[in-house]
Amino acid sequence: MDISPTVKPVSVLVNTLCSHHLQGKDEVVRLAVIAMLSGGHILIEDLPGLGKTTIALALAGATGLSFGRVQCTSDLLPADITGLSVFNRSEGNFSFIPGPIFNNIVLLDEINRAMPRTQSAMLEAMEERRVTVEGTTHQLPDPFMVFATQNPSDQSGTFLLPESQLDRFLICTGIGYPPEELERSIISTGGIRERIAGIAPLVSVSEILPARRTVSQDIYLSDKVIGYIHALVKATRNHPLIQIGLSTRAAISLAQASRAAAFLAGRSYVAPDDVKGIASAVCAHRLVIRAGQTTDRGELLREIISSIPLPLV
Amino acid sequence: MVTSSRLVTILCFAIAIAGVIPIFAWLELSPRLVFAAGLLIGILQEFKGRWHLKNWQFNLILVPVFIWYTLQYSSSNPIHPVVSVLVIMLAARLAGEKSIRNLMQVNLLALFCLASRSLFDLSPSFLVWLALLLLLVPVSLVLLTFHAQDGALTFTRKEVRRVALSALLMTLLTLPAMAILFPILPRTAFPLWTFLNQPTSGSTGMSDKVEPGAVASMAESAALAFRAEMEQQTTPPYWRGTVFNTIQNSRWSRNPSVPSETSVPAGKQVSQIIYPEPSASKILIGLDAAAEVALPSVRVSPDAVFDYPRGLGKRVGYKVRSGTGGLLRTSKMINLNFYLRLPAELSPQIRQLAEQIKKTGKTDQERLELAEQHFLNGGYRYSREGLPTGKDAIHQFLFVSKQGHCEFFASSLALLLRTAGVPARLVGGYLGGEYNQIGGYYLVRQDAAHVWVEAYIAGKGWVRTDPSRFATNAGAVWNIKQKLSLAARLRLLADTLDYRWNRSVVSYDFERQVSQLRSAGSKLQTLEQAIKSRWRWALLVVSGLLLLFLLRTLRLHRFCCNQEEQLLRRFRQVLKKRFGETLVTENKGLFEIAIATNDEQVQQFAVIYAAAVYQDRKLVRDEVRQLSKLLDQLAEADKIC
Repeated sequence: MDISPTVKPVSVLVNTLCSHHLQGKDEVVRLAVIAMLSGGHILIEDLPGLGKTTIALALAGATGLSFGRVQCTSDLLPADITGLSVFNRSEGNFSFIPGPIFNNIVLLDEINRAMPRTQSAMLEAMEERRVTVEGTTHQLPDPFMVFATQNPSDQSGTFLLPESQLDRFLICTGIGYPPEELERSIISTGGIRERIAGIAPLVSVSEILPARRTVSQDIYLSDKVIGYIHALVKATRNHPLIQIGLSTRAAISLAQASRAAAFLAGRSYVAPDDVKGIASAVCAHRLVIRAGQTTDRGELLREIISSIPLPLV
Repeated sequence: MVTSSRLVTILCFAIAIAGVIPIFAWLELSPRLVFAAGLLIGILQEFKGRWHLKNWQFNLILVPVFIWYTLQYSSSNPIHPVVSVLVIMLAARLAGEKSIRNLMQVNLLALFCLASRSLFDLSPSFLVWLALLLLLVPVSLVLLTFHAQDGALTFTRKEVRRVALSALLMTLLTLPAMAILFPILPRTAFPLWTFLNQPTSGSTGMSDKVEPGAVASMAESAALAFRAEMEQQTTPPYWRGTVFNTIQNSRWSRNPSVPSETSVPAGKQVSQIIYPEPSASKILIGLDAAAEVALPSVRVSPDAVFDYPRGLGKRVGYKVRSGTGGLLRTSKMINLNFYLRLPAELSPQIRQLAEQIKKTGKTDQERLELAEQHFLNGGYRYSREGLPTGKDAIHQFLFVSKQGHCEFFASSLALLLRTAGVPARLVGGYLGGEYNQIGGYYLVRQDAAHVWVEAYIAGKGWVRTDPSRFATNAGAVWNIKQKLSLAARLRLLADTLDYRWNRSVVSYDFERQVSQLRSAGSKLQTLEQAIKSRWRWALLVVSGLLLLFLLRTLRLHRFCCNQEEQLLRRFRQVLKKRFGETLVTENKGLFEIAIATNDEQVQQFAVIYAAAVYQDRKLVRDEVRQLSKLLDQLAEADKIC
């Protein structure tokens, strides 16, 4: 089937963001869009000052979606995110003031600084896509996407996300330093934070929602590719260095993300390449390495992937 | 649970035993003892503890043994030394260490031992042992491959069964090949086993002379004489062998210079195939009387005696066409004097009896009937004991003791006839035989050997007459329809197997291969003619359609079933040539490759190919054409570069 009309605005979005606003961050932008298309959340793990927030802001600006930001600290309470009821004197009743989570794109900055109690409240909201405050359930807007960041190096006073909660992020990725040439030009021109505020929306909600529907319903996933995904998942379960391999949820997520990747590539079917390209971002953070092993999860997963032959016939 | 080393060792013992038992009966004492000792040591060592002798020490011991048997070797004794060395080597391997190499050697030596059995004898039991080894050796080989990987590997009962089954499957898979190879493999004209062991000549039975009165009693030999494949006859058949035409004193013998005559067997034509047991005899037996024997270089005498100059030393089978009328028609006069010759001395009583017959009977026919009447009414008994002996044995038999076997009956009748002026001769052969319903053949033993008389009646020819059946106890001796006991029936069944084995394996030779080919050819010819006359057009159309169908399926097979694989293989080859080895591996996706090459055509290929493959549909013809074209372009571009 022809999916090009739905693909076009999204690919324009990605291309424009990559070429004009977020130079050198193509991969992260692509992953963020994939997460958005497959209805998942993204966790960006990297050092401060590499543009984590900028990406989230740019994506929000370019999609014309509402944006909320939560700066996590150890004294952050769940109510600070979800919102709370305030007594309205003129009307004589409590009215609910929604918190920052009631936005399409929510940036949870340095999520590992929040207390586990707050973390789990946020993650529950991410999973359920609704918030219950004082007995009233409030639906979160659609599309809803969480951009969480965490700083891996600064470990004092942080609460590491447990594996079960890491599993809720569809994608976990780093950013990395920009290439030398690019960094020079960034230094010369300065940050783009100010300019981002002026980005004109490139796609609208009415284009994003059909795209998401196409991703979940119209992208063909053949048995061969399912077999490939399964082989990959199984390989992680049998690997000697891995204590806990990929869960079935991880496999589902991988299939979803692969669909979105295929969609972005303009294809109405998933090729094993899509799976291979996205597997590291989708799966690496879900692996639990055996105690005492210092291997990098991403490296390990790439090694496993390269050992599995692709179904080509 | 059993370890692989234990399993392969037990199997190796079994294989060694199965290889040596078939030749055990032919072995000399020393190899027998050495083998038993080797086996015993091997078993003790396997179950009790290790033997301290190394393999090279065993090999060293084998050297003098080998030299000893080499010295024993001679053209008159070619087999025993070889087989003995084989068995002793096998024993040494059994007693020695069980390395993988040695176990393989045991398997091989056991097979050689079994094969050497064919130098001694080739009976159906060979097939049984061969089948056993063919089952055991693959199992052992499969287990050895496991053993080679890890000697401490353990097997459960179930796993052992699986290994055995897969080995069995391997053996079964070879069966069709065997079935195909058996009829087409070339054969030697002289089978090794009969060439090396010339069979001893037929013990008793049909002899080259008839001399009543030479012995007082006769022993019966139940050895097999021949088998005759044919339909069952209502009366016990007479099997004609040789003719004794000359009498000297009381001895009948065959004068090889038979006077010429032309005789044609009369009566119903019956065809049969005779399989004689190997013997030193050269006479070909046939149902009385044979008109034609289909065997190359057969000599036929004027009195319808067939000779095979090559001798019946090896197994042969020949087809005989006979007339069963008991009469050999002659078209012209025979040499009467030759068949009327009498011995110098003749008892006066016989002469008197003959004169009486000659006077009473007007014609030869009547005289023959009179002579037969004499035997019928004379109260003669058939017996193999208490026989008259000496020079006047015939006189004794005719007038005194009146008991004797067929030689007495026949020679006295012939003598009587000749004296009475009727030409007569003795015929030696066999009478009756056991009919095997399962195999459809007569089983004739040496004790069925028989002698009867042929009398010449002018205008008719040679008439068969058997005076033995005029004996008072003839019914008790022949024509007894007794119910077969279970043992007898089993014996017949076993004989059927033996017969089939001899027929289809042992005596299967080049001639038969040729005849089968020829018959296949002639059948094809008749078919062709039938087709030519009637079905020409229909056949043309049908074969054309078949060809089309075949082409179509082949094409479909080529382009549909393996199409994707073929294209992919070619894609890889082209890319390897153009972009280097490292680019195209199993672990790279098509799009990945396309991006890496940054080539428009590769990208197009990936898009078209993947669209079909990853949407679970076959490539349509148009796509195949497109893809092939892209690959062509890529290959071309490579050449230009």
